[in-house]
Amino acid sequence: MAELQIRKISKSYQKNEGYVLQSVDLTIKSGEIFFLLGPSGCGKSTLLRMIAGLIEPTSGTILLDGRDITHLPPEKRNTPMVFQSYALWPHLDVYENIAFGLKQLRLPAAEIRQRVENILETVHLESYIHRKITSLSGGQQQRVALARALALNPSVILLDEPLSNLDAKLRDDMRLEIRRICKERALTAIYVTHDRKEALSMADRLAVLHQGIVQQIGTPRELYMNPVNRFTASFLGDANMLDGELVRDDEKSWFFQTQIGEIAVRKINKSGHEESYQKAQKYSLMFRPENVLFEDNCSREYPENHIRAEILENSYWGESSFRTMQAGSFRFYANEFAAPERPAGALEKIILPADRIIPLSC
Amino acid sequence: MLIRKCFKYFCAVLVLCFFAVFLFLPLYTVLKEGLDPQIFAEIFRSRLYLEGLLNAFLICIVTTFLVFLISMPLAILYDKYEFPGKNLCPVLMMTPMILPPFVGALGFQQILGHYGVLNSILQALNLPPVDWLGGSGRFWSICVIEALHLYPILYLNLITSLANIDPALEEAARNVGAGRWTRFRKITLPLLRPGILAGGSIVLIWSFTELGTPLMFGYNTVTPVQIFNGITELGTNPAAYSLVIIMLAVSCLLYLGGRMLLGREIHVTAAKGSMGAGAKILSGWKKWMPILLFGIFTFIAALPHLALILTAGSKSWYRTILPLKYSWIHFENALSDPLVVPSIVNSLKYSAIAVVLALAAGTAAAFLAKRANLKFGGLFDLLAMLPLMIPGMVIAVGFLGMSIHYSWAAKIFDPVNNPVWLISAAYAVRRVPYVLRSASSGLEQTPVELENASRNAGASAFTTFLKITVPLIAANLVVGGLFAFSFSMMEVSDSLILAQKTEFYPITKAIYELSQYLGTGPYIAAAFGVWSMLFLASTLAAASILLGRKIGALFKI
Repeated sequence: MAELQIRKISKSYQKNEGYVLQSVDLTIKSGEIFFLLGPSGCGKSTLLRMIAGLIEPTSGTILLDGRDITHLPPEKRNTPMVFQSYALWPHLDVYENIAFGLKQLRLPAAEIRQRVENILETVHLESYIHRKITSLSGGQQQRVALARALALNPSVILLDEPLSNLDAKLRDDMRLEIRRICKERALTAIYVTHDRKEALSMADRLAVLHQGIVQQIGTPRELYMNPVNRFTASFLGDANMLDGELVRDDEKSWFFQTQIGEIAVRKINKSGHEESYQKAQKYSLMFRPENVLFEDNCSREYPENHIRAEILENSYWGESSFRTMQAGSFRFYANEFAAPERPAGALEKIILPADRIIPLSC
Repeated sequence: MLIRKCFKYFCAVLVLCFFAVFLFLPLYTVLKEGLDPQIFAEIFRSRLYLEGLLNAFLICIVTTFLVFLISMPLAILYDKYEFPGKNLCPVLMMTPMILPPFVGALGFQQILGHYGVLNSILQALNLPPVDWLGGSGRFWSICVIEALHLYPILYLNLITSLANIDPALEEAARNVGAGRWTRFRKITLPLLRPGILAGGSIVLIWSFTELGTPLMFGYNTVTPVQIFNGITELGTNPAAYSLVIIMLAVSCLLYLGGRMLLGREIHVTAAKGSMGAGAKILSGWKKWMPILLFGIFTFIAALPHLALILTAGSKSWYRTILPLKYSWIHFENALSDPLVVPSIVNSLKYSAIAVVLALAAGTAAAFLAKRANLKFGGLFDLLAMLPLMIPGMVIAVGFLGMSIHYSWAAKIFDPVNNPVWLISAAYAVRRVPYVLRSASSGLEQTPVELENASRNAGASAFTTFLKITVPLIAANLVVGGLFAFSFSMMEVSDSLILAQKTEFYPITKAIYELSQYLGTGPYIAAAFGVWSMLFLASTLAAASILLGRKIGALFKI
């Protein structure tokens, strides 16, 4: 178990050029599976490599259990990493790949053997111990890469998009597998991905990065339900944005004037979050497609935000129907579960529940 | 322990020391001794020296032009078409390289000499004989024989560059209506510039400074031969130094000129997921044309070798198309000649040391340039490539100068009593670029993540280099090492200049000395040439089997 603290970490490759990372502050708790999520080039892999010691930060400090490891060479950190490309050494077999790190610790041969066998059992590759790396499938290589990192009995493990080279089915299986192993061993895991599904389904907490800056940190639910800005909102899932100006409020709600009329937003939203807003200020009212309700497919009464909208296009997704809709000149998406068939061009009565709308700064 | 901690700095010091002693000091010596305005004025007043320079320049221009004429169509054929016997091409293309051109000159003289094969054919046809080697004939013979030796260098660079061109680029041009010739001119040729620059500059400088071939043809009014002849009075007459400086300056200008003409390196890597149509499969009679062309060129290129074998195997060969009587006697005499066996031992010794030195310096330089994350890492690449631009003669004369002018160097690099280190170092420094290229390409093909993974697993930079990097690029290092070894075994300029006593002669100098003997001298030299050729060919074949690769892959620069 180990706690990792990242204090004001910045990175710039060239003087007078922009920062890849800017003043990043994070605390990753012991035993936590923490995700760094963001689009390509946001600096998430750079940050992971800094933790591994493969890249030196321009400024800031990294503390592992209170010990400053910022300038410690990578081999002295015991922060094994699962590389995106797996980085398995093709001239060594499965056993030698996993034993490599253990040999650096100068452990007795018998112990190395025992540990390699144990770890191979954990990743279900016992019978592959002397196989050549090149004879393994992508999924098996991924497991060897994981085993190589786990063999060192680390307190922190780093995972750099480890599932990005696997097919969808295998990826789903491996997500559960990795989470199981990390939790069983009480590992502090830092996991980099750009796949929001992966992050939301696996993370205890996550940080969303954009252009080298941490946008928001929290649990998957917090971030999905209460994003702090448009980027986080749209990166974590489909998000409709309706621009409006705060015109008044009452005890329960804020009221925003928008192009489709006055929209009410609850002061305390569905997840119990409360925020205050300034009158006469412009905001983007964010609501998720699955929060758009159809009056004829709705079990509850909603007093506000009844809208008439036309269906422009339908996509059938099996468990739901994803619809492109338009109200006046405002175009938005609705994702309707247990949906009846609705033809394109039909006018529908829809509801935007006031406790599911998040006003975001423009 | 210190090496483990400061591995990259250790490598940097190693490389800098290597080049300081083996490259810059010889260069400095040449410049110090030869930069005399009076001598330069004398050289530029002397018609003989000016003629020598002009001839060397003309040889290199004509040779390079011929090399282009041969290599370009062959490379295009090889890259663009599938044809029967394509697998043979890499081996065929290597044939000219297993013999230094000056040994080939021995065979060529037998073909073109006054009483040689061609004139015997003319005589048989009742036509008057032609003095092929008289007047300008000698000049053209030198150009042709050098071109026939050097075209694989450009060819290999061209096919490497062609393989790197994304086929989609040409397809896109075709898609917008460009014809075959336009596509070649506007797309392929500009994208081939890195290969042309790399191969062309080696050919240009090599042929400009080639000593052995003109020497063998007795073509004395050419600067390298003038320098060679001036070396005996190096202590008292520094004209040779000044001539060397002029050669160096012209070589630099030739390289820079090529660079300006062809521009800086461009990236022509294949795009990800690109789906090229691949090589076109030829059918009907057309499918036999490429291999026929390869065969014809190889036959012409191998003519000196064939003539050499026939000369060596003939009792005597005079005024006939083919030898009248064959005999093993010259092969036997070649092996029993007191010059021969020691020279083989010497060559093996010099080349082995040279390979070790070149491998150490070249691999370290490649590591510094590609992996060490040094601010000026690229400079090490440039530094290690520098010997390619500097003629062998310059370095050889520099070493000789060092042994004359510095007492410490006279002890280590004693040309008279113990030239082992002198010759080995001279061989090594000029072979570093080949090792560097091989090691660099190995490092480029090896994902840096594999080394990062090792550091991440707890290995130091030094352990990572030994256990991960070196095994992963071992094949490239073997290729680089073999390349260095083969070229060292057949090295001419350094060998002719630096080996002064018979007991220290390497193979090439022994062949040269034998060829100068009257009577059976040229026959024994030819037989020794054949033995050397067989030795080199079997080394390369063994290496090829060892590597499990086609022999052509050994010479990809």
